[in-house]
Amino acid sequence: MSNEVVVSIRNLTKRFGKTVVFEDVSLDVHRSEVVAIVGPSGAGKSTLIRCVNRLHPFDEGSLQVLNHQLNKGSQFPSKQVLNDIRTRVGMVFQTFNLFPHLSVLENVILAPIEVKKVPRKQAIQQAMELLDMVGLSEHANKYPKRMSGGQQQRVAIARALAMEPEIMLFDEPTSMLDPELVGEVLDAIQRLAKDGMTLMLVTHEMQFAKEVADTVVIMADHRIIEKGPSREVLENPRTGRAQAFLKRVLNPVHATELEREVAVGHGGGR
Amino acid sequence: MHIVGLYISPIAIGALKDLILTILSTLLSFVLGILFAAGRLYGHPVIKLVIGWYVEIIRGLPAILQLFIIFFGLTQIGINLSPLTAGLIWLVAYGTGYAVEIFRSGIMDVAQGQREAASALGLGRWITMRKVIVPQAFALMLPALTSFVVLQLKNTTLLYLIGYADIMYQARLGADATEAPGTLYLMAAAAYLIMSLVIGRIGYRLEKRATAYR
Ligand SMILES: Nc1ncnc2c1ncn2[C@@H]1O[C@H](COP(=O)(O)OP(=O)(O)OP(=O)(O)O)[C@@H](O)[C@H]1O
Ligand SMILES: [Mg+2]
Repeated sequence: MSNEVVVSIRNLTKRFGKTVVFEDVSLDVHRSEVVAIVGPSGAGKSTLIRCVNRLHPFDEGSLQVLNHQLNKGSQFPSKQVLNDIRTRVGMVFQTFNLFPHLSVLENVILAPIEVKKVPRKQAIQQAMELLDMVGLSEHANKYPKRMSGGQQQRVAIARALAMEPEIMLFDEPTSMLDPELVGEVLDAIQRLAKDGMTLMLVTHEMQFAKEVADTVVIMADHRIIEKGPSREVLENPRTGRAQAFLKRVLNPVHATELEREVAVGHGGGR
Repeated sequence: MHIVGLYISPIAIGALKDLILTILSTLLSFVLGILFAAGRLYGHPVIKLVIGWYVEIIRGLPAILQLFIIFFGLTQIGINLSPLTAGLIWLVAYGTGYAVEIFRSGIMDVAQGQREAASALGLGRWITMRKVIVPQAFALMLPALTSFVVLQLKNTTLLYLIGYADIMYQARLGADATEAPGTLYLMAAAAYLIMSLVIGRIGYRLEKRATAYR
């Protein structure tokens, strides 16, 4: 992790109509830092990382991504700025979102050819290297729907990497997968982390977050309730709300009672 | 039996004319339909409104009335169209009204996640449309498009009402001139049926190919 801040989120507020998704969220992400974002469903984790590559606009605060200042409101940034952000920030979705009518290889080469104007031959060569890296080079000519979820998600990772991004956003990349397929995807992500990629990762895999992330952010009740070095946050959370959440994910059956008490004690749940 | 022999070639020629009109009007309706659908989805609010009205008018008015307005109605303001021209204009106008809605719903039915994935990769709107949305929408739409072509084929029967010499016209002529209207209308029916079946078959083949990835 370097000192260079590549994503700077300051007092960010996001609403859908009247509903507040999150309020007053601040977070700095440094180059090569791995940030895991955890928290209960509906906390706004997905929405937050989707603001970073401007899939969503935001309502208040400021957001700086790779030296581009994004303005609040629904007005899109200029074409060049948007394009620069979208090419330098990659994203992997919970539901893979591969293009089903294109083969694995075509999925990976589409954006480099169309956006970066990479010659086809070179794009294919680069794609094959990436597919090799995620262990799928022999599946290059298959259609996505013919593959397992874990394989599809690894293709999605290769597709995003083909744009040579500096930052990768992951939105619960393993939560749609059968348990036995989770490992192969986490391995691929861990490799990226080792290679110095900047990662913002929404996940429910606490063990993975603890081992791979530098920083863990816990979101709940429309805000960040705790953030810090991953071990510290996950092993010794300071706030009661964070303790209750972690207890619940680590020990799902017994903790709901405690969480309810704590939430009430803090002046209301959701 | 000699009636069949006598009328088979006029009916076959009529069928060919109907088929050509169907193909031509279908192609033009598809082109306009795609443009209008894009306009209705992404255009200026005024464009959206105008296309919306257009669709309502085409779908709301009886087909024959539309045809008569174009062929007979327009003569009042000095526009005299031949039956062929009037027929083609109507088939395209009518077909476009329906095609817009087929294309629009096809485009909308492509999952939102596909657009987001394209955006996240930096693909522009036009490329996304061409490489991601339309190919998938096309596969979704093929059954509706096949029915559309058959509908257009059946619509050509109406053109005999403005004097266009198609199958229906020939069958009617024969029915009046001979004692065998049943035979003649059956011949016309056979011609339409064969063409519908062929169109359906082609549509099915295309659909199979377009959805091979599923
Ligand atoms: N497009 C939208 N329109 C309206 N409300 C939305 C939209 N997207 C999300 N929301 C709402 O915003 C809130 C936060 O959603 P978000 O998906 O960011 O939560 P999350 O923390 O990612 O949850 P999960 O763990 O379930 O994915 C939810 O209450 C959701 O209903
Ligand atoms: Mg989410």
